[in-house]
Formats: sequence, C-alpha cells, structure tokens
Amino acid sequence: MYEWVKKIHMYAGLLSFMAFGVWGVAGIQSAFLPPPGGYEPPDIAQEKEFAFEGPGDLDDKELAQRIFRASEVRMGGGVYNIHRNEKGNLAFFLFTWNGRRDFTYLEEQKLVRVEFRDNNMASYLSSMHTAFSRRHPAELPARLWGYYNEFSTWAFLFMTISGVYMWIATRPRLPWARICLAGAAVVGVTLWVVTR
Amino acid sequence: MFRLMRNVHLILGLVFVVYALLFALSSLFIIYRPWFPESRVESERTVRVAAEQAATPRALALELMRNHDLKGDLREIEQTDQGMEFVVMRPGTRAEVAYSPSSGEAKIKTRRQGFLEMLVQLHVNHGFWHDFLPSNAWSLLTVLGSIGLFLLGATGIYLWFCHHEERVIGGVILAVGLIYSLTTLALTRATG
Repeated sequence: MYEWVKKIHMYAGLLSFMAFGVWGVAGIQSAFLPPPGGYEPPDIAQEKEFAFEGPGDLDDKELAQRIFRASEVRMGGGVYNIHRNEKGNLAFFLFTWNGRRDFTYLEEQKLVRVEFRDNNMASYLSSMHTAFSRRHPAELPARLWGYYNEFSTWAFLFMTISGVYMWIATRPRLPWARICLAGAAVVGVTLWVVTR
Repeated sequence: MFRLMRNVHLILGLVFVVYALLFALSSLFIIYRPWFPESRVESERTVRVAAEQAATPRALALELMRNHDLKGDLREIEQTDQGMEFVVMRPGTRAEVAYSPSSGEAKIKTRRQGFLEMLVQLHVNHGFWHDFLPSNAWSLLTVLGSIGLFLLGATGIYLWFCHHEERVIGGVILAVGLIYSLTTLALTRATG
C-alpha cells in the first residue's frame, strides 16, 4: 500500500508540476493586486477595426452581444459596462485570458474599434490559474489547459492527503514534524475563528 | 543531501497542509459549484446609535465594530438624503448597514456564507490593504504558501531524481506534463 501511494504521489506531482508553478505565480502576484476600485487596466497594446452594421431592432445589450460574436476576439466570459460614451457611441468591454478588450461601435461609420489591453505574463498566468474545463466558452487550447488545471487540483488534494499518510506510515514520531503540524493547525484554526 | 531534502519536503508539507487543504477544497468547490446547494444564513437586526457617534460613515462603522459585534473592511459607502449606507465585509460575511439620522437607527442585514463558500472567499482574499487584519494575515499565508509550493516542487523533483528506478517513467510523465501544459499555455496566449 505504502509503495503504491508513494509512486502515485510522485507521478501526480511530476504530471502537475507546471500547474503548481502557475499557482505559485498567481499566489505571489495576488499580494500586489489593488483593492476594489483600484484596478488600472493595462495600456493599449494594439487597436483593430472591423466593419459592422447592427440590425435596427436590437437594444444596446443585445447589440453588444452581437458585436462581440462578430468580432475575432474569443474567450470572453461576459460583456461589461455597456454604455454610451461621450460621443454617443456604444461602448463596452470584456475580459479574455489575455486581458481586457475595449469595444466601441462607431455607428455612423459602421465600424467597430477594438482596443487590446494585454496582461503581462504574471497576470496572464494568474488568469490561467482560474481555468477549468467548463469555464467560459473557451477555445480548444484554453479548454485543454482547463482540463489539466482541474486534474492538477485533484492531484494536489491527493498529494496533500497522501503526504500526511506517508509521514504517518514512516516517521510519525518525529518531534519537529509534530510541532510543524501542530503549529500550522493552531495558526489556521485561530485565523479561521477570528475571521469567522 | 537526500535526507536533508526529504526533511525539508516533509516540513514544508506539514507546515502548509491546512492551507493546502483549504486551497484544494475551495478550488474543487469552485469547479463543481452547481452541484452544491447554497448554504448561507441571512439575518437582520436594528440597533440604536446616537447621532454624535454617527457623524460620518467611518465613525458609525467604528461604533458598530466596537459595540455591536461587527467586524471587517468598510466598503461601498453611499450618503443619501435619508442617511447613509455602507457595507462591512470580511471573508464569509457581508453586513449591509443603513443608518437614518432622523430615527437614530442602523439596520444591519448580515449574510453569512456556509463552510465551502467561506473557503472560496479565503482563497480569493488578496492584498495587504485591508483594515481587517485577519484578511492581511490570510494574504500573507497565500504568499508564503505560494513560495512553499515552489520549494515543495523543487525538493520533490530532487527526491524523485534520487529514486534511480523511477527516473525513466518519471521523466516521461514530467515531459508529457510539461509539453502538454506549455503548449496549451502558449497557444492560449497566442490566440487572444
């Protein structure tokens, strides 16, 4: 039993190695995230325009959805902040794994302008750490990453439990190991209680 | 060296075991959330607060925290003709406060999440800007846990490599994982 658990523990870790790295980056990056309302989108990396003529019987929300579907932008989770800008043009934005995309519908010119605000690498990995198989209407590569991320979550749970099992099965009386576990448990439970 | 790495791996694992369980369980809850029923408790109460202790939303919030069992970060302040409204929140609990100076009453609507949703809120808790100190402590644990994850990975790789009979099959598994994950990451980056 012990040998098999050890083998699976090792293989699960090797297979999920990259996911753990991505989670580590996301966790460290989270320390530097701004408070609510303090988010500053990245600078515009590029702009694209495409021709579009919206049907006359749609409201702004439906039109925004139609524009998004007509665009080449993919993997958007939802359309946000649908409004008319100071020039009266329909404007909204959405988020992809790669960053925010700002849309403006120039109705008179029958054009849609898309501004790409690309995430830096740490923010990109942070957004990818949230992926799972059924999240968003994702394209194939993101969906495949989502399956990997989801598998790695199960592997992580297994490794946590099997790690404790392997300690108990081999060296349960190590005093410093007991102190580490007890200390961690005390800190965790105390924080839980004061937060709850 | 093997013995040292093995001990470091064990120490890191045990130090972060509670936190690892928190993250693993909350992640699985996020993934399979539709399968779970909502489990939150909502309650409402009214407390009297003298006008001089409610001169500003912040003064009122501090008074409620000191004497009426409210704790968390002060957010979403709105001042209206009828009085003021704000939210006091901490991971797992959100209290919406509406104060009317004419009646001197503060209505407090509290929404307390169940165990799993509480785990999720601790998972997404971030930054060191909180007025509520335990939230900063959870953020610190997130950073330390993330560094621990890197060290666990590095020591784990070393320990695997020392198992000579596992090098070939382990190497294949590691390569498959890296090729698959790096390819999907690169393609997703390129597609957007």
